[in-house]
Amino acid sequence: MDDRRDLWRMGWAAFCLGLPFLFVLAPIGTFILYSFWHNESGALVREFTLENYRAFFADPVFRNIYLQTVALCLGATIVNLVVGYAIALFASRRPPRLRFALILMFMLPLFTSYIIKVYAVRGILGHRGVLNELLLASGLISEPITAFIFSQSAIFLTFIVLYLPFAILPIYLSIERIPENLGTASADLGGSQMDEIRHIILPLSLPGVVVAALFNFVMTFGDFVTPTMVGGTEGFTFGRIVFSQFGVALNWPLGAALAVILLATSVLAVGVAGLAMRWSTAR
Amino acid sequence: MKQRSGLFDLVLGTLALVSLVIIYAPLAVVWVFSNWQPVRVRGALQLAPFSWDSYVALTRNADILGALGTTLLVGLVSMLLALILATTFAMYYWRTAGVSRQIMQALVFLPFLLPPIVVGLSLLIAFRELDATRGAFTIVVGHTVLLVPVVYRLVLTRLNSLSPSLTEASLDLGASQWQTFRHILLPQLGSALLAGALLGFAISFDETMVTLFLSGSTSTLPIRLWSMMRLGFVPEINALATLVVVAAALATAVFGVMQLSGKRGER
Repeated sequence: MDDRRDLWRMGWAAFCLGLPFLFVLAPIGTFILYSFWHNESGALVREFTLENYRAFFADPVFRNIYLQTVALCLGATIVNLVVGYAIALFASRRPPRLRFALILMFMLPLFTSYIIKVYAVRGILGHRGVLNELLLASGLISEPITAFIFSQSAIFLTFIVLYLPFAILPIYLSIERIPENLGTASADLGGSQMDEIRHIILPLSLPGVVVAALFNFVMTFGDFVTPTMVGGTEGFTFGRIVFSQFGVALNWPLGAALAVILLATSVLAVGVAGLAMRWSTAR
Repeated sequence: MKQRSGLFDLVLGTLALVSLVIIYAPLAVVWVFSNWQPVRVRGALQLAPFSWDSYVALTRNADILGALGTTLLVGLVSMLLALILATTFAMYYWRTAGVSRQIMQALVFLPFLLPPIVVGLSLLIAFRELDATRGAFTIVVGHTVLLVPVVYRLVLTRLNSLSPSLTEASLDLGASQWQTFRHILLPQLGSALLAGALLGFAISFDETMVTLFLSGSTSTLPIRLWSMMRLGFVPEINALATLVVVAAALATAVFGVMQLSGKRGER
């Protein structure tokens, strides 16, 4: 009886460790291994080489697109942090019911189809899209603005529309967590509302800002669907280049190496966020 | 002083309102275009009179309906797999001690933390090494890997909130481990599993980035939309998009009400 129970227990452990090993760790290991192999006239050569990594560091095209994408995603993240902070602050200053409704309204679009939103944004930003038509009709412009679509700025705008809710929630939750009596104390001591925001709310909500920044940066940096849909031929991003290695370009080892660099960048972002978190809570 | 903070709120409020309009504009446009189809008159955008034509066309589009069927099937299967696996893993974490459970948990969470593009191409490469043909099966594997951490988190949180005396009493009274799980623990996990099922299905239904790597010639709805949009415009997309958004909003509302009433019940 005891033997059977031990056997059963061992089987359970093997199952619970084995499946994650097989379906999570093994694929990731294989993918990293692939990045050290290379393609020779279309065939995979299973020999260790740093060729793919050298290609990234030596080729100015890859390097430039990488840096451009970092800048693009940082830019979108900063805009979302500023706007997201303002919205979170506004919501936190409303009565509880309205507060809840407001946050829910901002979160709802997260539960609607991602690809449909990208598609719709494309329809709005298009050369003769809704935005241009509205601007034309209002007489503000006489020719459609071409920069709205199939460009880096199109990706930038779409990132803001799609990822803003991801910035609002962490910031809102961290503002919400600040004890109310701190504000009362500040007011009792003669501090204005602006003083309260500057000296109490802002410093204490920094951890939420860090989380929001991390979410926004990592998600936009790895996104290749939005850039493909609205970026056209001008709006190339690093994620798109990785993806194209598995489609049109068909150079899997190179794609794997570029994806390792993408992953390393995300891990670096997590590290920076960790440091920022320590710094923001230390004071 | 009072006036200054009033002005401050006005500025923030305006910004919030403008942002709301901007993030809802895409959804609104899709709906408007589904009933008032956009037409081009010498390049300029105009709306046709109100009609349900795009919805009618949708019901006749075998491509989209086929993809919808695949999506529902994939969602259902991955959701069920995720429920079973996540519960097993959560029980393992809950009932054992030591490093092995930490390792298991780290691996379970990993796909949730990694960029989707990395998850997708890892699985793609692994499947190629195994000579597996891409199709519904590979999509289900990918989705299950993504859903397990979500359901696991929900189930483990619930398990941790249970009093250990429940299982102790059951075992003392001579029930087997399985009986204890089946009759004592499982009923307690109901709300967590339901939440996991809904959330999991919703994630699977919408999943795009990992699926793009794993779909092969089988298309789920997001993949179908992806290729249709790259080829060109079909009015049915707007009808479909509107229906999907309405369904998602309804599901979210139902889920929200359930969570709220569940919390009230627990109190």
